[in-house]
This record gives sequence, structure tokens and C-alpha cells, in this order.
Amino acid sequence: MSLLFVFEWLGRSLLGVWMQKSSYAFEAAEMFHLLALAGLGGGVLVINLRVLGVGLTSETAAGLVRELRPYLIGCLMVMVCSGVMLVAAEPEKCYYNTAFRVKMPLLLCAVLFSAVVQRRWLAWRSLAVISLLLWAGVGLAGRAIGVI
Amino acid sequence: MLQFCQWLYSSGLGTAIRESIWIFPIVETVHVLGIALLAGTVSLLDLRLLGVILKNQSVAQVARQVLPLTWAGFAVMAVSGFLLFAAEAADSCGNTPFRIKLVLMGLAGLNALVFHRNPVTPVRARIAGGFSITLWAGVICAGRAIAYVSK
Repeated sequence: MSLLFVFEWLGRSLLGVWMQKSSYAFEAAEMFHLLALAGLGGGVLVINLRVLGVGLTSETAAGLVRELRPYLIGCLMVMVCSGVMLVAAEPEKCYYNTAFRVKMPLLLCAVLFSAVVQRRWLAWRSLAVISLLLWAGVGLAGRAIGVI
Repeated sequence: MLQFCQWLYSSGLGTAIRESIWIFPIVETVHVLGIALLAGTVSLLDLRLLGVILKNQSVAQVARQVLPLTWAGFAVMAVSGFLLFAAEAADSCGNTPFRIKLVLMGLAGLNALVFHRNPVTPVRARIAGGFSITLWAGVICAGRAIAYVSK
């Protein structure tokens, strides 16, 4: 089943029409996407580096996760909302974009890996490396959407 | 200043980055992902200064452990940023968001310097944290805006 209809619907929705017509909405959404990237990326980095024994070592990894979870979830929400806005502005471009098609499954993997796998086995160093690679891949693929 | 920009623009380095299909996007990607290392770690320290997170750790403790990461991020951003600037120096020189970004970065540095030079009081820590997180958010937005205005 093709998901194209979802993208087409998003493009015709109120949000899509507004994103396409507005002269500043796309730019503003991109800025929020970047700001939340700083928060989410920084948090993910600090937690995984802590698991690897670098950085904030005076706090336990579990304590760090507990402290940062609301902040990380907030940043992820901003990233998803601004991301949906960016897709609504150019849904068909995204649908056929290879980098976008790589990014979405990677994002799903990264979120599930952090929320399910790492939650259970937080202390495992190899998992921290995988997590960092997954999130870096999401960022890399995201940047590539605009390049290719 | 303009002379320097034009010299850098037409230098071997600037020309090589500009004419390659791959170097510019790769350096740009490093610059964007580096945001997490620089602004991401700064924002954690700022949130501690504001008393939002990690309250069971002292400010000094968080700063001592987080700032090396921040400096590593600064190095990544400075090098990649300089390379991007070299490729577009002739345009960047007169680019308003670029100028705003430099000013905001200078203010963020000044804010950190003033904070480190004076005795820490809770109120001072909150002010410094608030200024810092706002200024760095401004740096990110201005940085993004550079590409909207040029050409």
C-alpha cells in the first residue's frame, strides 16, 4: 500500500495550504526544528556519553535520564510538530525524496531504541554507541533531504 | 574587512569548497550536527543555572563536566563555520543575518566571561543562564537565516 495519499491529504489540509502560502512559515518551522535539534541532540549526546564514561559522570546514567526525560520529550515533540509542518509545505517532494525515505524509518528505530531497548539495558556501552550512530544517521539523512 | 572577505573568497580554499559538489554540503552537515554538541551542551548548563534540571548537582560540578564537551563543539563549529564562510565570504560580508549572528556570539561570549569573573549568586546564575540560552537560540536562528537572505 502506498502512503502517498497521506502526503497528498497533508498537502491539501489547512496546515498544508497555510505552509505553502505563507512567506515566513517554512522558515520559522525550520528554525524551531533546528532549536529543538540542539536540545534533543545535546541531551541524547550527553546521556550516551555518560554511559560511555565521558562528561557528566557525577550523576548516574539512570539519574541523568530521569532528569532529562521531560526536556527530551518536549524537544522531540517540537521536532515532530515542526517536521510535520515542513512536510506539509512540500509533501510530494518529501514523499519521493530518498533521504526522507531513509530518515523516517531511522527516526522510528532511534526513538524505539532509546525508549525501549536502552531503557532496559541503559548501562550497556555498545548500545550507547549504536544509539549515537542511529541519531547521527537521523540528523545526516535530515540534512540530506534539502541537498538531494 | 571587505578586502579580507574577497581575498578569502578567491583564495584556493574558498574556491575549492565552492566548486566541489560534495565539500560544501558535507561541511554544512557537520556544522548542523555540531549544533547538538555546542548549543545542546550549553543549554543543559543554562537550564542548570536557571534551576530547571540537575538540581542535585552543583553549578560548578555541571560546568566542569559539561564545558569540555561545549568547547569541543565550539572547535567543530568554528572550523566548519570558517570553511563555509570561506566559500561564501564575498556574500557573507554584507549579509545581515551573518552580522547579527557574529554580534550574538560575541554577546554570548561576553555573558559567559562576566559570569565567570564574578562571584556566583543564585540571581546572577539565573540571569546568566537566561541570557545564554536566549543568545544561543538567536545564534541558531540567525545562522539559519543567512541562507534565506543571500543571493
